[in-house]
Amino acid sequence: MTYKKPLPQVNSDTKHFWDGCKKHELRFQRCLDCGHVRWPPSIICSQCHSSNTEWIISSGKGKIYTYVIFHQVFHEGFAEDVPYVTASVELEEGPRLLTNIIEYEVKEINCEIPVEVVWKEVSKEFIIPKFRPLKAS
Amino acid sequence: MNNLSGKYAIVGVGYTPQGKIPGRTAVSFHVEACANAIKDAGLERKDIDGLLLYRHFNPSKDEIDTTPYSVAQRLGLSPKVLSQEANCARTHISHAIGVLEEGLCDYVVLSYGDNARSGQRSFAPVEGDNAVFGQFGAVGGYAMAARRAMHDFQTGSETWKKIAVGQRKWANLNPRARMFKYKMTYEDYFNSRWVVEPFRLFDCCLISDGGRACVITSLDRAVSLKHDPAVILGFGQHNQSSDILQSRNMSGPTGAIVSGEQALQMSGLTIDDVDACEIYDCFTYTVEITLQDYGFFKAGEGKEWFDGGTIEPGGWMPINTSGGLLSEDYFMGMTPLTEGVMQLMGRCEKRQLGPTTKTKKPNIILCSDNGGVLQTHSTTILGKV
Repeated sequence: MTYKKPLPQVNSDTKHFWDGCKKHELRFQRCLDCGHVRWPPSIICSQCHSSNTEWIISSGKGKIYTYVIFHQVFHEGFAEDVPYVTASVELEEGPRLLTNIIEYEVKEINCEIPVEVVWKEVSKEFIIPKFRPLKAS
Repeated sequence: MNNLSGKYAIVGVGYTPQGKIPGRTAVSFHVEACANAIKDAGLERKDIDGLLLYRHFNPSKDEIDTTPYSVAQRLGLSPKVLSQEANCARTHISHAIGVLEEGLCDYVVLSYGDNARSGQRSFAPVEGDNAVFGQFGAVGGYAMAARRAMHDFQTGSETWKKIAVGQRKWANLNPRARMFKYKMTYEDYFNSRWVVEPFRLFDCCLISDGGRACVITSLDRAVSLKHDPAVILGFGQHNQSSDILQSRNMSGPTGAIVSGEQALQMSGLTIDDVDACEIYDCFTYTVEITLQDYGFFKAGEGKEWFDGGTIEPGGWMPINTSGGLLSEDYFMGMTPLTEGVMQLMGRCEKRQLGPTTKTKKPNIILCSDNGGVLQTHSTTILGKV
């Protein structure tokens, strides 16, 4: 079955992130001077303007900062998915990432609930990070 | 900056046919709105030496790009200052006053025009990595902010319904409004379909064909023109800038706090002096968070503040008296700004503030504009001579 949704538009800022996804790694830049973990990727730290940077790998765990439920189809690739959830997930390391919440019960979705990354291979070139509620073990 | 208070004024407003007007280019709406604004002010094209346009979107395949020079050309203008915002920086008022104050210009026209309703393109373009996850449009972004606000200060549909219905009542008094003939009850509001939850259709503004323009000049020049001028008593701007998905201020403070304080400080007024507001209302929630950040009520207290028809005809703080972007038509910040001007000029007929609508006679009207997804904000306080 062909994948009908838009694919990431990789550029020189985001290539390292999407390369990481292929290895099931959520990669973020951390400032070596002030420690700020930034997203989206950028040439310098937004907080101290240092270019002294390392890449870290996120634990893949975080919480929903906010979310919405798309009922209207804005792109045919999502026609069979509505209603679907998009969310801003705040990772343990600090950055907030736009993603989808999957494998959820409607009642359990809320701001601040814990979630974990789930990797979805959508083409030979791309693996996409989505998130699901973290079940109490 | 205080010496700028009361020094400049809006002296004319230009309308066009509006709503669903097929078969017209975006540029044609700008040109018609500007020509009508110039005429309304009692001026001629040779008087105009500044033209500032709102942003534009990519044109349909059969149209030219909407540029400030394409609009100037069709108006027969060769102005000293020509500009157009890229994206939604919303700096028109300070830009206009800047070039007037410098003496570069004497009469500046601000204009918005688009054929978004009938044009063959989406207001929610598929672009960037947001589309990978199915996150589209301003509606998606504002819905994210509104959801976080629900979590942070327990707002929601019970508050927003009062904004949607209250503004509709104003539109029902405005023959120009797209929703003039359509009444809305709370039941209608709750029955409208989900677009992006927590937003229903009636939480969302209209998408419109049409244009809107106005002319700004010095008060010295304004007093000899046709209408009583709407005097710019104060203006302010503040921009959170951050993409809403990374914002740390998703449920406020928006730029409205600093922008509002600046505008009030310049005008020498307090929020208690304001008689009515024309608030940029792309979504119902935008009205709530803007009024909240201006200081009309504390976080989450909007639900009670809007009770009893506060913002409606007959209410003690009329808001968006044309119907606004939600129920009149969408011309970005020109819908609220020009309505504030027309109210102060006393030209609003059945929706006129004062005895006609059992509201305070307006002396001070606060207008807001914002852009991006709560990323930019500007405030303009208008008054009388």
